[in-house]
Amino acid sequence: MSAAGSPNPEYVVARVRARRGSLFGDEEYRKLTRMGPAEIARFMEESSYGAEINALGSRHGGVDLIEYALNRNLAEQFDAILDWSEGSLYGLIARYLRKFDAWNVKTVIRGVYTDAEQEAVEVDLIRAGEFDDRRIRRLLEADSIDGVIEVLEDTIYGEPLREAYAEFEETGVLVPLENAVDRAFYERLLSGLGGDEPTRQYEAFLKAEVDFRNATNALRLARSGADIDPAAYFIEGGDLFTRSSLARLAQNIDELVEYIGDSQYGDELGPALRELEEADSLIAFEHAIDAALLAYGDRLGTIHPVSVTPIISYILAKERETENIRAIARGKEAGLSPDEIESELVIT
Amino acid sequence: MFEATNELGNLVLSTGGTLTDPNAAAALAVGLAALGAGYAERGIGSAAVGAMAEDDDLFVNGLILTVLPETIVILALVVVFIVG
Repeated sequence: MSAAGSPNPEYVVARVRARRGSLFGDEEYRKLTRMGPAEIARFMEESSYGAEINALGSRHGGVDLIEYALNRNLAEQFDAILDWSEGSLYGLIARYLRKFDAWNVKTVIRGVYTDAEQEAVEVDLIRAGEFDDRRIRRLLEADSIDGVIEVLEDTIYGEPLREAYAEFEETGVLVPLENAVDRAFYERLLSGLGGDEPTRQYEAFLKAEVDFRNATNALRLARSGADIDPAAYFIEGGDLFTRSSLARLAQNIDELVEYIGDSQYGDELGPALRELEEADSLIAFEHAIDAALLAYGDRLGTIHPVSVTPIISYILAKERETENIRAIARGKEAGLSPDEIESELVIT
Repeated sequence: MFEATNELGNLVLSTGGTLTDPNAAAALAVGLAALGAGYAERGIGSAAVGAMAEDDDLFVNGLILTVLPETIVILALVVVFIVG
């Protein structure tokens, strides 16, 4: 786990490819959608999630057990990937995995804000990012938002949070703080990427992700009709939108849909956009965006077989798998039918 | 860069240096081939170890693939026998 030495993509790609083979496929998902929570837990025990289910089985049960096992497995897998990588490869992977740091910071802030129990916050953290256990412990022990910001003082989140804190004190809502965390993450995500061909493709993928995130935000805002300034939610770095074009397009949903349809992502998102126009279903559109990103990730991993891209492709697929299993478990808990749950899954 | 190499070559040829000696050239060929094989094995070896760490059954396949570039050194050894 270091940024020193020469990059070793061969080693990491070999391990990641082996693990990719054990991800759940269509067949497993179909089985899972027909199981109850306890059966899902047992099914997971016999798969690559066995260690986590066994470790947590005595303390939790039901859907919670599944959820915590998923989080812990995700954290362990991604930590291992960071552990294996060396040199510039480490930097490229850590760049993406820092999103879990951002997630953890937001979870802790929300926990402090709602006076949640320390333990309740702890199980929701995903320790896959760069923060070590000591910092996470200190974050959990902080009893005020000011204290959380103090712990983060020497990280990239310290300064933006400090600036947003004044606004938080004025308004009393968390939005400025959460936006500050997100923006700090996305700013670091795209800055100073190297110049070789796989890295450029990685950058293109990250840009697509930023574009998609902007598009969903804009669509949500446009549909909710709320009187919020769309520019405040704009994330820099994408190709598709600028701050002003997003602000203008979010006023008019038809124009926005047309704009996305005409962009370079039009081919992939076309069917979902038509559905959005006809059925007015934002959920279908968001799923289509997820599926398009996943397909993008799959393709990304095959062009340069020995580089950072297959690793990122695996990280995406793994993330998607945990989200799918979570959706199945939660759907079962809520009593949805297998068909309904299947429509919630994102499978390529 | 290339001009310099050319000049160096001319100089070596005109003074009848050691590089024009067939045995020395053959030795150099083997050495360079071994260097290339070593570089190829570096990548294959680390990938093989990675695959083995995930699945022990891959040991034999990994070993075979790792030493495959070694053949280039054996082929280069043929040069030694032809020249010598």
